[in-house]
Amino acid sequence: MKPRFLRFWMAQLALAPAWLIVIFAYIGTIIWTIQISFTNSKVFPVSNYVGFTQYSRLFASERWIISVQNLAIFGVLFIAGCLVLGFLLAVFLDQKIRAESVFRTIFLYPYALSFIVTGLVWQWTLNPTLGVQQTMRNWGWESFTFDWLSRGDRAIYVIALAGMWQASGLVMAILLAGLRGVDGELWKAAKVDGIPTWRVYVHIVIPILAPMFATATVLLATAVVKVYDLVVALTNGGPGISTEVPAKFVIEYLFQRQNLGLATAASTVMLITVLCVLAPWLYVQYFRTPRSAS
Amino acid sequence: MKHISRKLLGAAAVLSLLAGPVAAAEKAEVLHWWTSGGESAAVAVFADQFNAAGGEWVDAAIAGGEAARAAGINRIVGGNPPTAMQFNTGKQFEDLVAQGLLSNLDTVAAADGWDKFLSPVLIKAVSRDGHFYAVPVNIHSNNWLWYNTALLEANGITPPTTWDELFAAMDKLKAAGVIPMAQSGDAWTQVLLFNDVLLGVGGRDLFLKVFQDGDVDAIKSADFLKVAQTFGKLREYGDAGQQGRQWNQATGLVVTGKAGFNFMGDWAKGEVLAAGLTPGKEVGCTPGLGHQVYWIGGDVFVFPKTDNADAQKAQALLAHTMLTPETQVAFNAKKGSVPVRGDVDTSKLDACAQAGLKLLATPDASVPGSDFLQTPDVLGSLQDVIGQFWTTPSQTPEELQTKIADIFAAAK
Amino acid sequence: MSSTAITEPSGPRPKHLTVGRIGLYAFLVIAALFFLIPLYVMIVTSLKPMDEIRLGNLFALPMAPSLDAWFKAWSSACTGLNCNGIHVGMLNSIKILVPSVILSISVGAVTGYALSFWRPKGANILFGVLLLGAFIPYQVFLYPLVRMLSMVSLYNSIPGVVFVHAIFGLPLMTLLFRNFYAGIPIDLFKAARVDGGGFWAIFLQLMLPLSTPIIVVAAILQITGIWNDFLFGLIFAGRENFPMTVQLNNVVNSSFGEKEYNVNMAATILTAIVPLVVYFVSGRWFVRGIAAGAVKG
Repeated sequence: MKPRFLRFWMAQLALAPAWLIVIFAYIGTIIWTIQISFTNSKVFPVSNYVGFTQYSRLFASERWIISVQNLAIFGVLFIAGCLVLGFLLAVFLDQKIRAESVFRTIFLYPYALSFIVTGLVWQWTLNPTLGVQQTMRNWGWESFTFDWLSRGDRAIYVIALAGMWQASGLVMAILLAGLRGVDGELWKAAKVDGIPTWRVYVHIVIPILAPMFATATVLLATAVVKVYDLVVALTNGGPGISTEVPAKFVIEYLFQRQNLGLATAASTVMLITVLCVLAPWLYVQYFRTPRSAS
Repeated sequence: MKHISRKLLGAAAVLSLLAGPVAAAEKAEVLHWWTSGGESAAVAVFADQFNAAGGEWVDAAIAGGEAARAAGINRIVGGNPPTAMQFNTGKQFEDLVAQGLLSNLDTVAAADGWDKFLSPVLIKAVSRDGHFYAVPVNIHSNNWLWYNTALLEANGITPPTTWDELFAAMDKLKAAGVIPMAQSGDAWTQVLLFNDVLLGVGGRDLFLKVFQDGDVDAIKSADFLKVAQTFGKLREYGDAGQQGRQWNQATGLVVTGKAGFNFMGDWAKGEVLAAGLTPGKEVGCTPGLGHQVYWIGGDVFVFPKTDNADAQKAQALLAHTMLTPETQVAFNAKKGSVPVRGDVDTSKLDACAQAGLKLLATPDASVPGSDFLQTPDVLGSLQDVIGQFWTTPSQTPEELQTKIADIFAAAK
Repeated sequence: MSSTAITEPSGPRPKHLTVGRIGLYAFLVIAALFFLIPLYVMIVTSLKPMDEIRLGNLFALPMAPSLDAWFKAWSSACTGLNCNGIHVGMLNSIKILVPSVILSISVGAVTGYALSFWRPKGANILFGVLLLGAFIPYQVFLYPLVRMLSMVSLYNSIPGVVFVHAIFGLPLMTLLFRNFYAGIPIDLFKAARVDGGGFWAIFLQLMLPLSTPIIVVAAILQITGIWNDFLFGLIFAGRENFPMTVQLNNVVNSSFGEKEYNVNMAATILTAIVPLVVYFVSGRWFVRGIAAGAVKG
């Protein structure tokens, strides 16, 4: 028997593009980023090392703290909202209803739109002097007020709502696919035993769908960490700095505010946070159980 | 790799020679963010003049200053720079100079005699260590108060000349059910308003102490607190629709008589003119309420360094063309700004521009804009603090004062 | 998983028109309204002349519908001195889209296949880094990538931007294909090995024909993702190759003068048409493919 490496040399060769990308584009840039975060680079990278200065400034920055808090609020609401709404839509669509494909298309189409478009449209719709609030007042409901977009303590929820609008359809599609895979015998058995439908869903169907929930969560979580376009188009971080997010912090210091050092320090912190949160989970999800040979 | 690409370039050059002589137009790709109707008309003046002088203008417009600057800097880093690139007058291009990435313009400047017709403030803004690195093309002033004349008359208000009169006038407008002050939700307009208050209430000296000297004690002074208090009081006079409103929509509220006052730069004139009205008549203007001071801002073009001799020629020609008297007058009339040359005929400019020019000519009545004096980094932190204060009614002027002092203390 | 299980709803049997049934439809209709309102606003506004928009009633039907804004957005809206609308960008977007989609799916499929069945040394590390890569904000990569691409003379070119899309598409594509292949019985692969099949023979003759559903899903995700990209197009494509989204941004964010909401909305819809058509045509395939690809989480 040849050594494993030689046996699989063609497989190694086939993985070469992926390796190159990982080494140069991912690991290379990450090392570069971490290195720059210890310098006082402005527009251009310089190697004038200043220790942890950028990091202490970062954590003294109120804007960064608000950004991180917003990311947490947005992340929890967006992921939970999409999962709940997507699950409800999938369950309701799975009831042998009429015009199912029409409904499915309606729920799924926002995912085809970019976050920029999503942000613009919701900004127009929820603007207090232009959209829903003004229309309600024009129709005679004078006291109708929905001004969350212009309230610093509420605007982040509007962003989560717009995000849910865009991505719930994807969750629906994934879970619907899962529901279609549930054995029909299950329902017959449940009916014979007289178990209420909702209990079947909660105690049997949801556990069966766990892998689909996991896939959906991964997809949504990648969107959460990267959320940028949506905020820029919807509020541009306002009112004030109440809807700032970390990715926006990074890109603004990278280009507009010309402080490469601080920007890379912020991205390094993001990276480490992602690593700490995800690494254990990813390990459990993908590596702990070896592939079954069934 | 580098050698291969060099060889390829060489081959391409030979091929292009074989293809026969090309018309010797000096091609200049110009990256800028002037994308609206009025701005495009202004930039067309540059393009026409450059083409007439024997060049070939290649327009590379990208909407939004941020996106345009990011794209330009990335192209410089990537070794494929545009021939010329726009910045706001000030410190934005300082690092490019420090890295030796910009062409030195001393030859053009000496030949055209820049030092004879540019004001000292501008010369200082476009040169580093005695060398010229940018062409200033216009002077904008940020601190104007615009008001709807008819609306004020209808409510028995004479145009205010002091801040107390302004607040009295706005109380009347509020009681009459119109928006007293039109304000945009964009953070830079909130900063603009703050600077207007700093200049108008605090005066020129305080402004310079803060932005030029970064004097923390001046920020902790009672005078500065008064500025913060006045700015805080203004919060009560905006309306609920600020968020998502752009500056031109805010000015539009004054133009259409839905709001009484609007603090905005002189580019607001474009909105007045577009509505078929005359600045200084239907829509009145005051250059700086209280202490009348002319705030100098504007745009410049820089020319990234290149080895290509044709591109160098194009850069020199463009730098020359942008500053000829004809180009300056025609361009600035369209842009709503004031020519950078002190020696051109300005008698045809409107009443508001005349008032501004008078201030500009008065000694010690102008200040360089904050972009000239502080880095984008400091100004960005300032923007965060001011934007947060403006949109959080519970924050006190004292808090704002402390936060601003902290920024300048940290920047030392 | 049998195909009938995928196409047939499997929920509890309908109990004909009961209160519950009516509630069910009510929920679906209300949800559909929530999803459709923004589209309605976009279409209605794009058909209104500016006079009507100034009246400020966002939801009203147009009194005098016209397609002027659409024509303007398509062929004469200005960016700086170029007044060609956004149609120039459409061709650029297609030129970027087609090779990017093909390249990223090919690399992703091969990588997923190798990781799932062959698992050579270091496979787990590679997969782990790729997975983490999916969570890193793109902004981190921009600056060094500009440097790297200009070193190999790919900066400001279509191949350059295609390459960048392939880089950032790799984690998701690999994940999709790896999961899909994980659902295929390993005995099938072992049998093919015993029959003397090599790496490529097994991939091309056995695995690829089985992969249609997941290729469809990958294609849909990549087409919408790459078409909607703004950042990479702006930074890596170069001025002559700007995709449609960059031009949309140029049209929508003109900073001076009145905002032409109708033109903006029309331009927005025009830009979104390609991914929308893809979704409308392939929605059914998408659900099927996801069913096949997401089995293993």
